[in-house]
Amino acid sequence: MIRGFRSIHPFVLFVYYVYIITSLMLYQHPFFLLTALCLVVYVHVLLDRGEQLKRWIWMLVLMSIFIFILTPFFNRRGNHVLFYLFDNPVMLEAVIQGVMIALTLMCILAVFITFNIVMTSDKFLFIVSKWFPKWGMLIMLSMRFVPLLRKRLQDIEQVQQVKGVSLRQGTVRQRAKNGMLLMQILLTFSLEESIQSGDSMTARGYGLQKRSKYHPYEMTHRDWALGFVMTVFFGIILYGWWLEDGVLALLPALEPIWLSGREWFFYAIWFMFIGIPIFVEGREVLKWKYYQQKM
Amino acid sequence: MEILSTENVTFRYPGSPQYVLEDINFSIHKGDFAILCGPSGSGKSTLLRMFKQELLPHGECSGSFFYKGNSLQDMDRLTVAKEIGMVFQDPDNQIVMEHVMDELLFGMENMGYPTDVMRRKVAEMVHFFGLQDLLETRTDELSGGQKQLINLASVLLLDPNILLLDEPTAQLDPIAAKEFIHLLKRLNDEFGITILIVEHRLEELFSLANRVILLDKGRLVFDTSPRDAVSHMYTSMRHFLPSAALVYLDHSEERRQEKIPLSVREAKKWVVNANLSFVQKKEKLLPEQEPFVELRKIDYQYSKHSEPVLKNLSFSVNRGEWMSLVGANGTGKTTVLKLIGGLLKPQHGYIKYSGRKVKQIDQEEIGYLPQNPKTFFLHDTLFDEYRQIAKANQKNVEAIDSLVRKFQLRELLTRHPYDLSGGEMQKAALVGILLGEPSLLLVDEPTKGMDPDFKAEFGELMQELVNEGLTVIMVTHDIEFAAHYSTRCSMIFRGDITVSEQTQSFFRENTYYTTAINRITREGSGLSPVTLEEAMLLLQKNGI
Repeated sequence: MIRGFRSIHPFVLFVYYVYIITSLMLYQHPFFLLTALCLVVYVHVLLDRGEQLKRWIWMLVLMSIFIFILTPFFNRRGNHVLFYLFDNPVMLEAVIQGVMIALTLMCILAVFITFNIVMTSDKFLFIVSKWFPKWGMLIMLSMRFVPLLRKRLQDIEQVQQVKGVSLRQGTVRQRAKNGMLLMQILLTFSLEESIQSGDSMTARGYGLQKRSKYHPYEMTHRDWALGFVMTVFFGIILYGWWLEDGVLALLPALEPIWLSGREWFFYAIWFMFIGIPIFVEGREVLKWKYYQQKM
Repeated sequence: MEILSTENVTFRYPGSPQYVLEDINFSIHKGDFAILCGPSGSGKSTLLRMFKQELLPHGECSGSFFYKGNSLQDMDRLTVAKEIGMVFQDPDNQIVMEHVMDELLFGMENMGYPTDVMRRKVAEMVHFFGLQDLLETRTDELSGGQKQLINLASVLLLDPNILLLDEPTAQLDPIAAKEFIHLLKRLNDEFGITILIVEHRLEELFSLANRVILLDKGRLVFDTSPRDAVSHMYTSMRHFLPSAALVYLDHSEERRQEKIPLSVREAKKWVVNANLSFVQKKEKLLPEQEPFVELRKIDYQYSKHSEPVLKNLSFSVNRGEWMSLVGANGTGKTTVLKLIGGLLKPQHGYIKYSGRKVKQIDQEEIGYLPQNPKTFFLHDTLFDEYRQIAKANQKNVEAIDSLVRKFQLRELLTRHPYDLSGGEMQKAALVGILLGEPSLLLVDEPTKGMDPDFKAEFGELMQELVNEGLTVIMVTHDIEFAAHYSTRCSMIFRGDITVSEQTQSFFRENTYYTTAINRITREGSGLSPVTLEEAMLLLQKNGI
């Protein structure tokens, strides 16, 4: 992906995700949250036609329903009694609270799924190794090591099975003992092999001096501009939260749900802020459409 | 100009009276393509490692090393790491990164290159090696040949002046090995990169190199041109030489050194000129027998979405046979072995064992010698290992004793299995398997990484076992080995057996997938032999 949301510099992306998740946690207002949810779902559609979201959707919905139902049971603070359940009052405030928590959860999870699509492992590693180069190196080495280990264990298991040392037959005690034997040989085997990996690293000059880092990503003007715009938006959103414009007051008195006055301004900012991926992706779609028409 | 040289180099491990290397003097010139050869344990790899001081094993070392006239010990380590590149034997263990691109960058990042330099160098290298499609791949999805290519590329990115290679093709299949060797030749020809290679597989190398250095028991025997080396090694180290040279030396009366052919092309020319002809010999047919193991209509695929590995495969092996399964990488050879061994279950079809349909062959009847014998051992010494196996099979110590004597492993009994050489380890694992008295032995690539002398020894041992009644199914890439020992060969192609014939006729019918000696003698009159021994036999009869 050369253009579009995925092509944004990992740092900018990372910061954006920090901003958006903070905002989602701060703005507890059904109207704001519902808008956010719609926008995030649309981002999913733009990114991969909702493929990843489909895989998670049931878990998301079930969890939200669960929370939506449970909250009114445990929260009995409020002024408006809706009805009584087993002699306990169910409050309107608690129901709204349940809706908001469920929406927040759905939004944050959905955003995390886009994070997974957009921030591939190499981008994430790039960020980690910027701040913690040694840890980054270690993670990279172990990422290579894990599949190797799995393959070796499989080889050992098969060879030993023919030899009669099996994990599938015998008493539990015998199996456990065999398992220990296999783990032990896996370790010896891997240590032995990793000496060679060490040699190959040394032969290529590892550890002689401070390493440099290949930068596959460059900050372009667009990245700077985007970073600036979203920081301004986030600032305004924080200000709105401080003014309590993006938060629905439940107590001591329930605020009307419909927006009024200044809140509309913050709503507009909120809309644009959450919609940044749509703007970036959509621009590419439009460009492509225009290009096709010209052909 | 001398690029690398040694003066009176001697080395021994601490506490050992024996010298691994003794008084080695030699020098490599710029642009050389030199082979360093010798039997296992002759100190070749140790010598090679001495040029990379960081990799030197712990021990007593004296003498001096020079790189471009300067003492290596005093040189800046960064310069050494950059200018002397090294590629090792195992393709897997050298790779330390998850993705190909990161692996290529690894060395350059160590050198502290800036990003734009790295980008340019990688671009160049990708074009030279044709790696475009591999850049984004995960390294554990590559084939052995590709891995070794990446290792080489990663070293070359540092612009070395000399490449040291420690048996780089030992773990590769013959096609990948050939490609790798020819790539080295190209680097040598086109860029003048000096090459010093330790290698057992010399069939190709003799015609490409310009120098051969032979080590034996830590001493330098000679350092000379390939043709001269061939005539020196003919009597004592016959197994190391290419068939092309051997057929000439075996059958020519004049034996002129400058005429020794080193490649199939040269040998072919000589065979035609010398008008060698081989008698037509009636082939001894193996007696028809009830099949011992029979696979019928087997389908197998590893997962639901992957391409099936075996498709409607039918295959049978008779009692007392040594069957070789040959074929390209990824055609399912090892899968067949694992199916017979009961490690995998076929999705369709059945297996018959001694004429009876069984769900699974009794695993006590089967011995499985894996590609990597390191996975076989569970205990700290060979003796412990054998004792445990004997206990599990209700055998006494005498049984161990007689096998150990037969395989000449007595001195190694107290050692840790991992301290043995690759060949010894194969032999040791084989003893462990035989303790269970299997009637069917499954062998996966036994000759990988073995030196030629050891290969011959191993072949003879296996031959003896087969004569005693063991049935062997062997997966191999080593055509020469299969031609020499096995009784029947089967070629597997696209998940099915295409041919299954007696070894001689199998290789005689093949044009490309056959032994060097068969390719050499193909145009002579009469029947062309498949192995050198056969050539000797047939030609002598002709003379009478």
